[in-house]
Amino acid sequence: MTSYYFSIIGTRDNPVYEFEFSSFKNSLAMSTSTSVPGKSQFSASIKEMLPFISNSSLDIIEDAQWTTNLFYLGKIDSFYGLLVNAFITQGNIKFVLCYDVSNGTTQKYDDSSIKQFFIEANDLYVKCLLNPFYSVNDAIVSPDFDLRLKLIAKKYL
Amino acid sequence: MKLYSIYILNKAGGLIYQNNLDPSLNRLTANDYLVLAGTLHGVHAIAAKLTPTIVGKDSTSTTSGTDPTANNALLLSTGKVQNSNTNKTGLGSIETDLFNLYVFQSLTGIKFILITSPNPILQKQHEQASETFRHLYVLYSDYVMKDPFYSLDMPIKSQLFDLKVGELAALV
Amino acid sequence: MSNDNIILPSAASLSTLSIADNPKSGFGYNPSLGPLSNTITPESSNILLNRKTLSLTPTSGNSIYDKNVNNKKINEINLSSLSFLFCEAVNWTHRNSKGIQDLETRLNGLGYQVGQRFLELIKLREGVKSSKREIKIIDILRFIHGTFWKSIFGKTANELEKSQDASNEYMIIDNVPLVSKFISIPKDYGNLNCSAFMAGIIEGALDSSSFHANVTAHSAPIDGVPLRTVFLIKFDEQLVIRESLRFN
Repeated sequence: MTSYYFSIIGTRDNPVYEFEFSSFKNSLAMSTSTSVPGKSQFSASIKEMLPFISNSSLDIIEDAQWTTNLFYLGKIDSFYGLLVNAFITQGNIKFVLCYDVSNGTTQKYDDSSIKQFFIEANDLYVKCLLNPFYSVNDAIVSPDFDLRLKLIAKKYL
Repeated sequence: MKLYSIYILNKAGGLIYQNNLDPSLNRLTANDYLVLAGTLHGVHAIAAKLTPTIVGKDSTSTTSGTDPTANNALLLSTGKVQNSNTNKTGLGSIETDLFNLYVFQSLTGIKFILITSPNPILQKQHEQASETFRHLYVLYSDYVMKDPFYSLDMPIKSQLFDLKVGELAALV
Repeated sequence: MSNDNIILPSAASLSTLSIADNPKSGFGYNPSLGPLSNTITPESSNILLNRKTLSLTPTSGNSIYDKNVNNKKINEINLSSLSFLFCEAVNWTHRNSKGIQDLETRLNGLGYQVGQRFLELIKLREGVKSSKREIKIIDILRFIHGTFWKSIFGKTANELEKSQDASNEYMIIDNVPLVSKFISIPKDYGNLNCSAFMAGIIEGALDSSSFHANVTAHSAPIDGVPLRTVFLIKFDEQLVIRESLRFN
């Protein structure tokens, strides 16, 4: 099952939000197993590398930012079997998704569902930004945001 | 009808705005304008006291809005702005051979005073005056009340208000 | 291990959440803890799979996250209420300011945040699928002059011009700036212009799109248009260099 690490990175390359999970697809079929559906299955050594992997892709994102006028940048980087997809908003907020495909996965790598996930995450981000108590580059600590994001993660990934 | 001049008085009777719209008028000294405004304010108040019995009698008849308190209640419930014709709480108008003077008092006690040329058809003149008051009141609430640099009851110095009053006078 | 002297790289801002604040509901990101704070637990996994409604915060039942902010229909608000609100905003700013320059700076700062937020919202409303990110100076200026202005002020700005003197200066001209429609500046306030608030909105939008600029509002009345205001946009020098490197 694919594990994912999603992070929102602010304009000063600061993390605003992070979330680790794994695909919910097929998780019901495997519910007999002891593992929790949706819990990320990154190994401990990978886990601590994840923020570094996302941040190291920022240079590539910044380059792509000025060469294409699309919001969704697609797959931009890979790191020992971990792929990195990115999305950037007009306000220069980056959405980065790292995921492993090597982990004995049978799930098809699906670009359009990742794109859809990013688009809906952007929708949530804009709503978060409408909160007068939230300002750009603050960490998003809202439990409501977290719940909605997890729901769209479950829906698309 | 020709507009000669416009006065605006605050609720204490102080002159907060004066504009001579007819350039042929003789200008008075600033002090004279203040005295004039104070006098009008006083006359307006005295006029309300002159006919207390008539006001009382009228309030018993079916025509509503003559009793000041009933009038206010009606205004609050219907939200209709009183016009110069229903404003019977004081001096409403003075008509002479040389000029006509009209007074309109807003709910908050701001008095707008128009001095105009006399018109043989009096009925039409009243309509025109109340129409002008309506426009003037709108200008006052827009360009004076929404100006952060204006403090209540102080003289109006807004250039925009001046400009709009000039445009209004040209239309009348 | 003591709780309060660990600093994790994911602690981005001066949040009031400390490392001890692990959310009990299993939802809610804590920057002091990083992804550990909102990891999937058996309980939260169960909630997600069964789509239970749950009340996480006092406002959960009526949360903005469940509302559609994407509708293209323009919701108009009353100009009078806006004017009275802005009037009080200017008064409040005026009370706190030390001078005319300071007052303008503060108004600019008020607008800045509005610009940052509106930029993302308007791009969202344009539709992320169909619209494009603006990556060129002239494109972002057209966007601000057109779509952006129309969404906020209900009409497009009157003119967009390039400065004759400097290559990094542009001007957006509005004949009747919405917020200062009813405002006359007293003579002893010099060349104060309350549209500094609108300049702040533009600056916020440009800055967050990485077009760093200084935006100032100047009154430039002409006959019959007493409120005509020029918004002077002065981009960073580096920006012009970046543009020439990228697109030439």
